[in-house]
Amino acid sequence: MAMQASSPSAFAPLLACLGLLALWEVAARVMAISGLPPASEALRELPVILGDGEALLNIAASLRRMLTGFVLALLFALPVGLCMGRSARIAAFFNPLLMVIYPVPKAALMPIIMLWLGIGDASKTIVITLGVSLPVIYHSYQGARAVEEKLIWSAAAMGMSKAARLWRVVLPAALPQIFIGIRTGLVLALITMVTSEMIARQTGVGSILFNALDMAQYASVYAMIVIIGVLGFVLDVIIERLRCKLVAWAEEEREIAVGTS
Amino acid sequence: MGALPLACLLALWHGIAVAGLAPAVLLPSPAAVVARLLEQVRNPLFLQHAATTLMRLFAGFGIAVVVGVALGLAAASNRRAEALIRPLWRVLAPVPKIALYPALVLLLGFEHASKVALVVADAVFPILLATYQGAAAVEPKLIWCARAAGASRNRTLLTVVLPAALPTILTGARVSLVISAIVVFLAEMLTSTDGLGHLLVYASRSFHTVDMFVPLITISIIGLLLNAGFNAMRKRLLAGFPDEP
Repeated sequence: MAMQASSPSAFAPLLACLGLLALWEVAARVMAISGLPPASEALRELPVILGDGEALLNIAASLRRMLTGFVLALLFALPVGLCMGRSARIAAFFNPLLMVIYPVPKAALMPIIMLWLGIGDASKTIVITLGVSLPVIYHSYQGARAVEEKLIWSAAAMGMSKAARLWRVVLPAALPQIFIGIRTGLVLALITMVTSEMIARQTGVGSILFNALDMAQYASVYAMIVIIGVLGFVLDVIIERLRCKLVAWAEEEREIAVGTS
Repeated sequence: MGALPLACLLALWHGIAVAGLAPAVLLPSPAAVVARLLEQVRNPLFLQHAATTLMRLFAGFGIAVVVGVALGLAAASNRRAEALIRPLWRVLAPVPKIALYPALVLLLGFEHASKVALVVADAVFPILLATYQGAAAVEPKLIWCARAAGASRNRTLLTVVLPAALPTILTGARVSLVISAIVVFLAEMLTSTDGLGHLLVYASRSFHTVDMFVPLITISIIGLLLNAGFNAMRKRLLAGFPDEP
């Protein structure tokens, strides 16, 4: 995809968006039910929502929680994943744990964590951190495991300490894989962010979305969905750009995104 | 060795609960949760909720497999289809599908359909991507041979490309299966009157902490079992294929 990011395929997603909007408009006009307002009507709500200070504060609160959760997850998951990749014993310890945690719906922990930490930022951030950690651990583990042994031997022969080798040899070499994990983690961060806000409705895009649904403001519901969708797409593009810059040297890996919420 | 960290985790949980660091209302002991789980497994009402969840899960997953494989094969074998599907996939894949759920509820109602649709929306992308990549990586010589032997384009697709791409497709499908289990649970938590997710929300409203853990553990066990079962099936189906790393 990186190769084809030149002019023709940069247009294609835009065209796809326009196509989807057109399809939506036609479907709404044909079906003519109140539950599906036409695209034009929902899009007219966009400036209204984005011009509202409170809504902007909510979106900012969501993004802040997501960013905090994401950074916390990286701080925790990267060292764990890299150590797992370099030590069979650590891997044997964490693997069964990860296997058991993998099918747990992270966002569904929200009601339980809410009992302990309340409905504020702390619970939501923790749930986001949990969601992001798993793919980052998994992919940094895979990446660190596949690092060329010779690189590590050379570094060791030159007198680099174990920790320094992990930081200066293993981490950069595993970076292409790690980015796959980060990209999957982003999707999960968005999912857990929205879901946690739907469950503990206080602030954030998820709560605006579901409150609009409860108040039957259907145009706002769809406008919020568009905003969240654009948010996901833009963040994805940013991470993809970052990846191209940092690991341009690596061949693009083909990997099926392992994503669970 | 494998069970050790799990035992540690359980022991830690048990220790915290027994030492009274957390009141039982906030954190019931693992023994209490397991006892309640065993009790519920024999409760027909609980089983009915679990069956509803499973039904939605498999309906959504089944549709996602059919749609995902069909679109993936189309994208890999036809340039025009690829030009159409790829940008759509690029735009829609990073969108958190759960945000679509209110729209699905408005369109399809509060019953099964909206939840199944959400499962499909979330489960279809890994399968689509896996099918596309698997089919695009099929050895071209195989396809040329089949074509030279007189097989039609469609026949080649079904009898050569599809089996050759099967290992990758099944990997994608396994990922999707676990996603389906998670998503169906979340959808039931958000709006529902039945299913395991509803049981969790219902218990949290009445502060029955033990009953909150039971559905969560049940869905996780379902996910684990489905994952393991799918792996076993994959091994059987792929007997003779070179093993993937």
